[in-house]
Amino acid sequence: MSNWIRSLNNSVVKAVRQNGLYLILSVASFVVFITVWWLASAWLHGDWPFEGRSPVITAEYLPYPWVVVHAFFDSFTHPDPFSDLYMGDHVYSSMKRIASGFALAFVTAVPLGLLMGRSRKAEAVLNPEAELFRPIPPLAWVPIFTIAIGFVWGPIVIVFMGIFFPVLLSVRLGAKSVDPLLIDAARTLGANRLQIFTKVVLPYTTPYLMTGVKVGIGIGWMCIVAAEMLGAVGGGVGWYIWGTAQVARYDLMYAGMVTIGLLSILTTGVAGFLEQRLYKWMGTK
Amino acid sequence: MDGNEVGSSIRIQGLSKVFTDGGKSVTALQGFDLDVKDGEFICLLGPSGCGKTTVLRIVAGLESRSAGKVLVHGRKVDSAGSDRGMVFQEFGLFPWRTVRRNIEFGLEMGGVAPDQRHKTSSMLIDLVGLKSFEDAHPRQLSGGMKQRVGIARALANNPAVLLMDEPFGSLDAQTRNLMQRELLRIWEATRKTVLFVTHSVDEAVFLADRIVIMTARPGKVREIIEVDLPRPRERTSAEFISVRGRVLSELDEEFEKARAKEIARQ
Repeated sequence: MSNWIRSLNNSVVKAVRQNGLYLILSVASFVVFITVWWLASAWLHGDWPFEGRSPVITAEYLPYPWVVVHAFFDSFTHPDPFSDLYMGDHVYSSMKRIASGFALAFVTAVPLGLLMGRSRKAEAVLNPEAELFRPIPPLAWVPIFTIAIGFVWGPIVIVFMGIFFPVLLSVRLGAKSVDPLLIDAARTLGANRLQIFTKVVLPYTTPYLMTGVKVGIGIGWMCIVAAEMLGAVGGGVGWYIWGTAQVARYDLMYAGMVTIGLLSILTTGVAGFLEQRLYKWMGTK
Repeated sequence: MDGNEVGSSIRIQGLSKVFTDGGKSVTALQGFDLDVKDGEFICLLGPSGCGKTTVLRIVAGLESRSAGKVLVHGRKVDSAGSDRGMVFQEFGLFPWRTVRRNIEFGLEMGGVAPDQRHKTSSMLIDLVGLKSFEDAHPRQLSGGMKQRVGIARALANNPAVLLMDEPFGSLDAQTRNLMQRELLRIWEATRKTVLFVTHSVDEAVFLADRIVIMTARPGKVREIIEVDLPRPRERTSAEFISVRGRVLSELDEEFEKARAKEIARQ
């Protein structure tokens, strides 16, 4: 474990050294974003540099950046205004939901994607359903799933619906694009069909799978607000956003949004880190 | 063992291949016959599109045949198998495997125990001159080294015949000459039957015991030229140049025929 941390640390140091300019650009872009936010908020409030302008009634819709930052830290130490849960509880519940939805999507989308990518028959059978369900936004499933399946599994299934398709599509693409030369080579070396699948198709598809996983995790977080819209057992960051908006605590609402952004960055970052380790181990990078 | 004579490694009789693609059919091979002796080095040479690679792929079992018979050591060929090793122009190495693990691929598929695999691959790494590169990945290797891995990998299963599809076609001229010498060294050490497809006359004369010149499409054997020169052959020697001239003139005639057909078709 300490090895992993050291290598993570090394790669961060290396990134800073090699990408100094790009890092500065990223930081500058963030500073600009905060400045624009501050100016917009100041304008609504009628504060400096827009002094003298009477405050807009809806100024509370856009609190100052530091107010949101304060609310963010507060949310971890004070229970939310509509239940007795802390932000930590909401994060935990949402994380569990994302993990369950992801696990479900992974164990179903990977085999189906491989099957559709390697067998034209399987693709002919499964494609109509895949194409029919793919464009339906996960949000559309919210009423029926939460009512029919309940507040434990309903939200999980909605997250699952969001993660399933990106994983399915990228695994299918990967399985389809396996270099036929490698399959020929494996055949002349005596590989049977199962071995071609496990020793050629599977490793070839792995980078595609990892792309699908990263996109899927991001979409999973995008679905969490919808998934928890009608309620979820144990709360959740999405539910937190709905609840705080209902009682007009917009500072806390934004804090919830920031939390989702950070969680998404964190989880996708972990997936990206694992991906790099995987490629290094497989020797393709 | 039907139709197998002693010392015959590959026997191809009346081989035909028709490709159909969306209603159009193209006859790639028609009545191709060839008998390859055990341990012989054969080069297949012909105008492009004459079906030389198709012959190789059918012998490898990667392609079906429309008519005819293909026997390898008396056994009818109907699918790919580890008794025929193949080396590809574009190498076809597994990018996620090290040199050693690429070479061991066939042994792994055949269920050979790890320590035996290791022994065989070490021997082959020595043979093809890849020592100290065994833990490298294909992307770290030059073209010539990649093909050394390709050859070692094909030899690992100890196949009776080695099928080589323009193996040095994507290498630069210097590397190509070096690899030709290396291949002869390996061939002399292992004494495999080699069926080698090339479009380089020079390469064929340098390598082959016999050069099989194919006709333009539909491909069959036009002429077999015996290269009775001692190895190592000197590319600048009078004998080499004379054989080269003979092969070239045969080939030129086929090329002209192919072109005339092409023009007639238009």
